[in-house]
Amino acid sequence: MSLLDRKLLRDLRALKSQALAVALVMACGLAMMIMTRSLILSLDTTRDTYYRENRFGEVFARLKRAPNAVREQLVAIPGVAAVQTGIAIQVTLDVPGLPEPAVGLINSLPERGEPVLNRPYVRAGRLPLGRTTRGELAVGEAFAESHGLKPGDTLAAILNGTKQTFRLSGIVLSPEFVFEAPPGAALPDNKTYGVFWMPYKELATAFQLYGAFNNVSLTLAPGASEGEVIAAVNRVLAPYGARGAYGRSHHPSHRRVDDEIRVLQGLSVAFPLVFLSVAAFMTNSVMSRQIALQREQIAMLKACGFSNAQVGAHYFKFSLAIVFVGVGLGAVGGIVLGHRLVEMYHLFFRFPQLDFVLDSRVLVAAAGVSALAAFAGVAGAVRRAVRLPPAEAMRPEAPASFRPALIERLGGARWFTASFRMALRNIERRPVRSGLTCLALALATGILIVPNSFRDGVTYVIDFQWDIVQRQTVTLTLVEPGPARAIADFRHLPGVELAEPFRYVPIELRAGPVMRRLNLQGLPARGTLSRVIDAEPRQLTLPAHGIVISAKLADILHVRPGDEVIAKVLEGRERELSVPIVGLAEDFAGMAAYMELHALNRLLLEGDRISGAHLVVNAGLWPDFLAAVKNTPRAAGCVIKNSIRDGFRKTTAESIGLLQNMYLVFATIVAFGIIYNSARISLSERARELATLRVLGFSRGEVGAVLVGELVLLTLVALPLGLLIGSGFAKVILASVNTETVRLPLVLTASNYAFAVLVVALASALSALFAARKLADINLVSALKALD
Amino acid sequence: MTAAPASPLPPPPAPAAAREPIFHVRDLARVYGEGTAAVTALRGVDLDLFRGELIVLLGASGSGKSTLLNQLGGLDSPTHGTLFYRGWNLGTADEAGLTHFRRDAVGFVFQAYNLIPSLTARENVALITEICRDPMAPEDALELVGLTPRMDHFPAQLSGGEQQRVAIARAIAKRPEVLLCDEPTGALDVHTGITVLEAIERINRDLGTLAVIITHNAILADMADRVFTLSDGRIINARTNARRGSVRDLAW
Ligand SMILES: Nc1ncnc2c1ncn2[C@@H]1O[C@H](COP(=O)(O)OP(=O)(O)OP(=O)(O)O)[C@@H](O)[C@H]1O
Ligand SMILES: [Mg+2]
Repeated sequence: MSLLDRKLLRDLRALKSQALAVALVMACGLAMMIMTRSLILSLDTTRDTYYRENRFGEVFARLKRAPNAVREQLVAIPGVAAVQTGIAIQVTLDVPGLPEPAVGLINSLPERGEPVLNRPYVRAGRLPLGRTTRGELAVGEAFAESHGLKPGDTLAAILNGTKQTFRLSGIVLSPEFVFEAPPGAALPDNKTYGVFWMPYKELATAFQLYGAFNNVSLTLAPGASEGEVIAAVNRVLAPYGARGAYGRSHHPSHRRVDDEIRVLQGLSVAFPLVFLSVAAFMTNSVMSRQIALQREQIAMLKACGFSNAQVGAHYFKFSLAIVFVGVGLGAVGGIVLGHRLVEMYHLFFRFPQLDFVLDSRVLVAAAGVSALAAFAGVAGAVRRAVRLPPAEAMRPEAPASFRPALIERLGGARWFTASFRMALRNIERRPVRSGLTCLALALATGILIVPNSFRDGVTYVIDFQWDIVQRQTVTLTLVEPGPARAIADFRHLPGVELAEPFRYVPIELRAGPVMRRLNLQGLPARGTLSRVIDAEPRQLTLPAHGIVISAKLADILHVRPGDEVIAKVLEGRERELSVPIVGLAEDFAGMAAYMELHALNRLLLEGDRISGAHLVVNAGLWPDFLAAVKNTPRAAGCVIKNSIRDGFRKTTAESIGLLQNMYLVFATIVAFGIIYNSARISLSERARELATLRVLGFSRGEVGAVLVGELVLLTLVALPLGLLIGSGFAKVILASVNTETVRLPLVLTASNYAFAVLVVALASALSALFAARKLADINLVSALKALD
Repeated sequence: MTAAPASPLPPPPAPAAAREPIFHVRDLARVYGEGTAAVTALRGVDLDLFRGELIVLLGASGSGKSTLLNQLGGLDSPTHGTLFYRGWNLGTADEAGLTHFRRDAVGFVFQAYNLIPSLTARENVALITEICRDPMAPEDALELVGLTPRMDHFPAQLSGGEQQRVAIARAIAKRPEVLLCDEPTGALDVHTGITVLEAIERINRDLGTLAVIITHNAILADMADRVFTLSDGRIINARTNARRGSVRDLAW
């Protein structure tokens, strides 16, 4: 080991707590980088492998009913590699222990052999045998888990009006249902929605679909155009009540995972950028101070013939040591956090196996960027040092010159105490350093705003969605749209106090080149249960003509009220209509379009039909109501508001809680680190001044106040600035996180702000106290010694 | 932030007690380090210093002058012996007591001035007057050292002599009992040194402050009431001047 390196080790030991503070801040950014990049890799590779091994389709279509022979026509489409036809149908379930009925989507399994596409992955038990044993059902893992179902348990389902009991043969997963949620839902609701598999013959027979299919998946031959294949599929299936084929990018489960990856990508850049910048600044201030203290040593080294490069490399190595620790801590942090997040993903995404895979390339990249950040931090200070001619460096630095602070020059001087002036002038003498310290503290404050604004946004959405928009207790859906008089049957169910009909029609909305598929809802003009609300929020009355759509959807389609959109009805007789947009609705989950019920029915040329009804049920008669619904053959689905609401709340609480803790730790580390370092540096720069004050009769506490006065002022400026920056962060992040499936409004509350201020102020105060302990080491007698 | 507790110092002396010593030192010793590395900086020092006296300490480098001054100023505690400030045991005082002692009773003047660079001359003085019991106005203190015209200058804008006079003004603004000066002219040329010493002499005369001055310049001994010479940690010579010379008349 060279002597210079030995000096390096000793210097490092002397500066260990400051170096650690920098390394910790660096580690925050790196942990986030390593975690997000690794999660992207984990999700990406796991999904790819899963899709490949279980042969996930690439184009999907649903239809009413087509004879099996039509399959040959699909196979014949140029560019189609493989076709899987089958039946998928929604039923009502009666789960033991669950008072309310649940909704099940039952998928058929081919009569013989494995499915060509979308092969289920068997987690436990086996697939239903079909040929030998009847009455068996395989259940999706998410639903099974949330009900504690095991192979061998039983479950009742109403198949086409007949209640039947099934034995669960096994627990399975499918690439079609990585995100196992009802269509359009932002979050999974595994208590009341499940996916099932059943032999084709049994399912088809129950619904009089034997010899036919209502669901298609297909894969593309290499080089085939998805658009062309979709068009061809639509042509083939048009006579069979097809709802329009779509590619993976519109597949709800696939898309949800894509959304998550996109969010991770954003975080993987933004976060490390912020933290590494702060770390670079901290490195710079530590190294500048170190180099200032070692002026004479540098001069001596140069006088003895060391080159500028050697001296520069020596100090750069110093910062590399910080990088080394930072990368180590960051990797550990990233891996630990990554594992936690993967656990959280199990709440949302179902893969045969989702493991945290450390992206080893990101480790290299992390080391690279943090070395770069450290280099950027050190370069300026080192350059100044090596530029100094040796003779000059041998002399002590000239005494600092000061002038009255701006605020004093403006006439505010009279009321300030001497120690307050010292703080002001010290801040002004180093505007860049003070500014950056302030900015770093503001960033710490700002990042705390983000997760809490998520939380408040979610609370707002929950209240908005279920107190303002949807005020029913329960929603009942019919197996198939039925005559409007069905509403009378619903009114007669026990406990029903209010019933309002609705109609759902799958449509494709088009404006220019942009197209979206969604359910068009027909509602009473001014209902009291499921209401259409605008941004105010104020209830909109649905006019006799025209369509009201989500503001988000209008954004996507680039349309405004007054414009016309093309609505293609995807159910029954296929029709294309041009309808004017008459209003914009505010909603936060999925996308919606509304029309007055009669207007919709007129448009569909179907007469008065409804898809179901929203009901208010007397709480006292609730059990009777549920029992009655479970045995109502015509009711295909029953969605209970409070159970969705609770599920939503629980899932978001869990994921946001994790985020909150993460950001809390990060913010604390930054605030603590910045203040600690600044305090230590001033302590070192002003040691003589502070010792003099002690000799002149200042108590240790008073000298401590002089030392941290500057930092207190900077913190006071940083806090409001941080609230501003944090609000901006929240806005930008929400805008980037907001997808077509989930949106959060920007909600900023006083308690969010207060919490951020409190955390940063507390971390800063503790950190300052911690640094000020070093005041005890100041040697009073040293102040009396003459300067050398 | 802990404020210093209520002053444990004795009340200001009644006129009758004027001949009581301010400092009463017996068999004072200070040893730095331990075992074979131990350095004895002071050994067996006996002293009584009185109000209004001007004392000069002489001695070779390393003889223990600064160590003695630091003991008197409450910057350091003795290893052995007794050290009383007006009947109050300075040698066994705690941290808070010493802080109070320095704040209210002692004015220090250092060879390196030790002004706060971010404060003007006036503010450097005000810094101290803000915290002590019965200060004079900073402007008056600066007037005593003849610096009224340069009051609002920062240290970097003042000459060495001017900076040292600011330091003296800062030391005396609290009306200390004792003014302790460690080579106050060490970094100054003769002419500037005279101005600074005159300022000290004037304060000693006008306010009756006990002044203790360390110097390497034996000629300065003539301005003192008493002169002590140290060697190897002991007082080897104590001399009383029958008549004190004024700084101007010294044979520079
Ligand atoms: N903190 C310390 N640790 C160890 N030894 C010390 C310490 N301070 C002073 N000494 C020693 O004590 C002795 C007296 O030092 P002191 O500073 O009192 O001398 P001085 O008379 O003021 O000298 P000078 O005229 O050079 O200022 C010296 O030998 C010195 O090396
Ligand atoms: Mg000395």
